[in-house]
Amino acid sequence: MQRPKVLPSQPSRRRFLAHLGGIGLTGLLGASAWEAMAAELVELPFANGRRKLVTNFPQKGAVLLQRTRPPLLETPFEVFDQGVFTPNDRFYVRWHLANIPSVVDPATFGLKIHGHVGRPISLTLDDLVREFKPSEIAAVNQCSGNSRGFFSPRVPGGQWANGGMGNARWSGVRLKDVLDRAGVKTGAVQVRFNGLDAGVIPQTPDFMKSLAIDHARDGEVMIAYAMNGKPLPLLNGFPLRLVVPGWYATYWVKMLDDIEVLDKPDDNFWTTKAYLIPDTPFANMAPGQKGVKMVPINRMVPRSFFTNVHNGTVLKVGQTATVRGIAFGGDIGLAKVLFSADSGGHWQEARLGPDLGKYGFRQWEVSLRLSSPGPHKLMIKAVNTAGIAQPDHANWNGAGFMRNVIESVSVRTT
Amino acid sequence: MENIISIRLRAIALIWAVPILFGIAFATGLVWLSTPHSTWAKVAVDLPTSGTLFPAGNGADIASAQCLICHSAGMVLRQPPLTEEEWVGEINKMRNSFGAPLPTDQVEVLAKYLRGIQGSQSPSRPSVLDAQGS
Repeated sequence: MQRPKVLPSQPSRRRFLAHLGGIGLTGLLGASAWEAMAAELVELPFANGRRKLVTNFPQKGAVLLQRTRPPLLETPFEVFDQGVFTPNDRFYVRWHLANIPSVVDPATFGLKIHGHVGRPISLTLDDLVREFKPSEIAAVNQCSGNSRGFFSPRVPGGQWANGGMGNARWSGVRLKDVLDRAGVKTGAVQVRFNGLDAGVIPQTPDFMKSLAIDHARDGEVMIAYAMNGKPLPLLNGFPLRLVVPGWYATYWVKMLDDIEVLDKPDDNFWTTKAYLIPDTPFANMAPGQKGVKMVPINRMVPRSFFTNVHNGTVLKVGQTATVRGIAFGGDIGLAKVLFSADSGGHWQEARLGPDLGKYGFRQWEVSLRLSSPGPHKLMIKAVNTAGIAQPDHANWNGAGFMRNVIESVSVRTT
Repeated sequence: MENIISIRLRAIALIWAVPILFGIAFATGLVWLSTPHSTWAKVAVDLPTSGTLFPAGNGADIASAQCLICHSAGMVLRQPPLTEEEWVGEINKMRNSFGAPLPTDQVEVLAKYLRGIQGSQSPSRPSVLDAQGS
């Protein structure tokens, strides 16, 4: 087992101004290198968790650098305290393959729908806007491996804290309507989605994901051309992104330009050999456990977070403070959010903010008055409308997927 | 005399300016309406490149030549400590699933190097590796 490490459970910020000979070094390295060295550093609360807060990605504000190429950028957690919609310029970014077009021209862009259909078609962005009924949904987009850095024992992969997620208002058209235009033929079983990105070398399997035909035609799955009322940032999938409400982001194919209706199950690498989870409650298994049945990752599970208190926050004895955060139900609406101020001994229902859509974030808050001095462990637990509650114990699997354990923070009162 | 001509010319110019400008605007509008146009602007961006290098050591040259084909070094440097055996598993995933052109005889050297730069885990714990390609 890993040695337990004493670490704060919320990013602590630290200005890192390199003490490196000032002007002379600037001249030597050039202005951009100097800028990078002067970047603010954030300590994510796990070993080897130091990350740069960077602003040099196009159409992005300050985000945490997990990987430059292909980009892997985390939303700094304080952004989630500012509202239930994650601003486009702070929205996390995750690409698998580094051959990402840096220019996308709507004048030449076409979305192809082909395969097991009556008439293959190609649609421009204007076709989608003008010829289809508009659709809109608020939905959380969460990386399958969000919070992977908290796994114990640790597992390889993108070492996210909790910022590999975001909530946006997605506008576009229903996938069902687009498929109907092409005319799905009987015998269709799946629909496969491909984007403009590709591997650097031809041996790398192109990133594609598939959905069952009935899921693709459920009227909720969308092709989005806008995010929070604006065209998507290129790194979030401009010009089109698949939106699969309630499902993990691996299915939300970015720069979507190709939809293929299949009459037999998709056998592509990313569908059959990647993004698999143990077929157990909360995708939980033991390290080294053999013979576990694996299935493609699918529906999200409920989660809740504190956004205005973190480990080490100091509260005044006898004074009332507002403690708040965000929560979501996963693949279904949120029923309630339960708060405990005594390590889970007693639970009370938190007040919930407006319901802006069952797949989106909701704000929660409680008025907290602690009457004794000392440390207090606060806990938060979401329960969805199917009655699924966040579990007491963290799940584990080798891919680091689907973490949703009850969150807790230790505050002090003086 | 010259003054009067000049004033008259100006008056004529003024009288005609309005319909001429209006005509130009109208014609431009017609051309714009009859040309297919999109409300979508072209997007062109520059993606930053990484200057992060692998630390010196036996195998650093292999890491630089192979790993950097598909991803920047930061991804490797931010991983948790893994055993040499687990690094072999990761390297083979890159070779077998993603087509990394890394010769078999370089796997061991690279795994030892990566274990060395990341600190080592006790090999007695069960492997945390999941052979899938995500």
